Amino acid sequence: EKWAATRPKNPPTRLALQHFDATYSVQLGNLWPSVRVALLSERKYGALVNNFSYEAVLANLQAQGCRDFISDTHTETQSCFEQDKAVEADKELGVSMKTSVNNSQQHSALQLSPSIKCVVFPRGDITRFKPARPDMHGLLGYYLMDAASVLPCLALDVQEGHSVLDLCAAPGGKTLVLLQTQAIRFLCLNDVSVSRTLRLKRVLNSYVPKQFLSDEMLRITSFDGTKWAEVESNTFDRVIVDVPCTTDRHSLMEDDNNIFSKSRTAERRRLPQLQLELLLAGIKAACPGGEIVYSTCTLSQIQNLSVVEQAVYLARENHGIHLEVVSLRPLTHMFRKTFHFTPDLQLGEMVVPHLAANFGPIYMCKLKRLT
Amino acid sequence: MQNNITLQSAKENHELRPLAQKPDSELSLRSLLDMGFTDTQAEQICESVSKFRGGGFTKHALSSLTTLFGLGLNPTSVLKVLQKCPELYTVKESQLQQRIGNLRKVGFVEGSLQRLVVYYPQILTVPVKTIKNVVLFLREKCLFTVQQVTDILRDSPAIVQEDLGQVEYKFQYVYFRMGVKQAEMVKSRLFRFKLDEVRCRHCFLERRGLYETPDKKGQTFIINPKLDSFLKVAQDTFLTEVAKASAEEYSVFQRLMAREWQEEDRHHSRIEAD
Ligand SMILES: C[S@@+](CC[C@H](N)C(=O)[O-])C[C@H]1O[C@@H](n2cnc3c(N)ncnc32)[C@H](O)[C@@H]1O
Repeated sequence: EKWAATRPKNPPTRLALQHFDATYSVQLGNLWPSVRVALLSERKYGALVNNFSYEAVLANLQAQGCRDFISDTHTETQSCFEQDKAVEADKELGVSMKTSVNNSQQHSALQLSPSIKCVVFPRGDITRFKPARPDMHGLLGYYLMDAASVLPCLALDVQEGHSVLDLCAAPGGKTLVLLQTQAIRFLCLNDVSVSRTLRLKRVLNSYVPKQFLSDEMLRITSFDGTKWAEVESNTFDRVIVDVPCTTDRHSLMEDDNNIFSKSRTAERRRLPQLQLELLLAGIKAACPGGEIVYSTCTLSQIQNLSVVEQAVYLARENHGIHLEVVSLRPLTHMFRKTFHFTPDLQLGEMVVPHLAANFGPIYMCKLKRLT
Repeated sequence: MQNNITLQSAKENHELRPLAQKPDSELSLRSLLDMGFTDTQAEQICESVSKFRGGGFTKHALSSLTTLFGLGLNPTSVLKVLQKCPELYTVKESQLQQRIGNLRKVGFVEGSLQRLVVYYPQILTVPVKTIKNVVLFLREKCLFTVQQVTDILRDSPAIVQEDLGQVEYKFQYVYFRMGVKQAEMVKSRLFRFKLDEVRCRHCFLERRGLYETPDKKGQTFIINPKLDSFLKVAQDTFLTEVAKASAEEYSVFQRLMAREWQEEDRHHSRIEAD
């Protein structure tokens, strides 16, 4: 009787799992069981080091046995996939999509901002981080987030003096990563949800000194991002479009506020359309020559590749904006020791969860405006 | 006490006269040799008997040997039994006979009874009442048949020394959560395994999408692997044949589960304390 405990017949987490089983077993093939067990088990975090803190944060964390994965890329000898031959052999992606995108794989040299540091415990180590504590000025030493969420920010490649738009910014994890560069001239933060925007402000106040949050450097708004072009277009050097999605991990673990609950079915079905509109808005907001990173935390091909593919097509057809897909292979190659990436994705890159490196899912694709 | 001292010195002198003085109730090297033990075996027995100091137990040693021989065990088996479970030197003859009689009643016929005693001699140190309780528990709480109960005691005799609350928890987990019926539990020798081992392999398969709790009608969307195909096998085989996963993944998983369960326990005990 203990085990037949009464629970709702089809809780949203269960519906999510059924949905993922149906779609991802096809999309990921033999890789799916390994991703599935990781998604259903405790995730790993990374600690984004807050350079604004007055404490010796990095040294303290390193003393606990973590390492900054961003600078720890020298070991070229063995990729983590090679150790995992059984899984590697099975790896295949059932993506059958003819890309009509101008996919010129330009392998430009990678320059990463040296001031972004994110520490993780080693592969297979399940130690947890303690909550960060405020320093003497009340600033927290680190921000706990999915370490793979740092990758879209690195991919954005912010340079000195850039103006940057973060179209869906709350609660602000990626914003904090971008701010660590201290290179941004002007940063625009937006999120349609007022309550989440308030949370974003609280996060900023806990991590960034007041002088870096002045009106000349920062603007925080709560617009509907799809209508951004009504405010301004052809403006930003860099735009990050971190869209709402089925948040796969969350949907499997939490019944509260779950996108797979019956009452949110319509909203869930509209997601790809919303994502497309947000990405198009981001593309329009960038200046010619500017770069856009699209990212999600789902494995869903419909919310990832298909959205990017359509956005590229519609930008050209409807707005005369020509885009080029910027290859992120150098980036994934660099961090293959820390994350599991799906091999040979036609468009963009994806971190897939694995028990020994339980980060992600994170999908990202980088576009450059040619016109 | 006296006796023990003489035994030890006798051993040193390779001379056992003091023991031979009460040939009826005491153990002598001579009587051991007569029973068919070799010199070394006899000495081993004397030595282990002498370890039970101060209890006056040696008087039971002879009757224990006689009883074991009475079961038809040969000297080598008898020695093996006593080495595994020296406590048997100290059990009263009447108790031994009762316990053996009870095992016969529970279904152990000639041959299987002997195998049981050799495999798990501790069973003869357990009071008849305890065994009866276990049998009753398996019959009434878990609805095993008489034959299944005998099979369980044969394959997993250590169950008689376990906490029945824990055994019940394990049974319920496998019955309700995994949807496994009694016959399959017996076949897989379920009660040989710790609950956490069972749970860990099951949860691993479940989270990989390879195992599903049957619904009320016993139906599943996928075909679950049989319990004995993934419980009785070595970990390597479990990983390559059933789970199709790497050892690295399972090692992380085991550690995650251990922590999860530890935290659950702590959580429950906190609730109970409130
Ligand atoms: C994945 S979250 C962003 C996480 C954030 N970038 C971070 O790293 O912490 C997606 C966000 O998009 C916001 N959102 C949803 N619809 C939007 C819209 N139409 N315009 C702008 N933001 C929107 C949600 O409120 C949510 O905060």
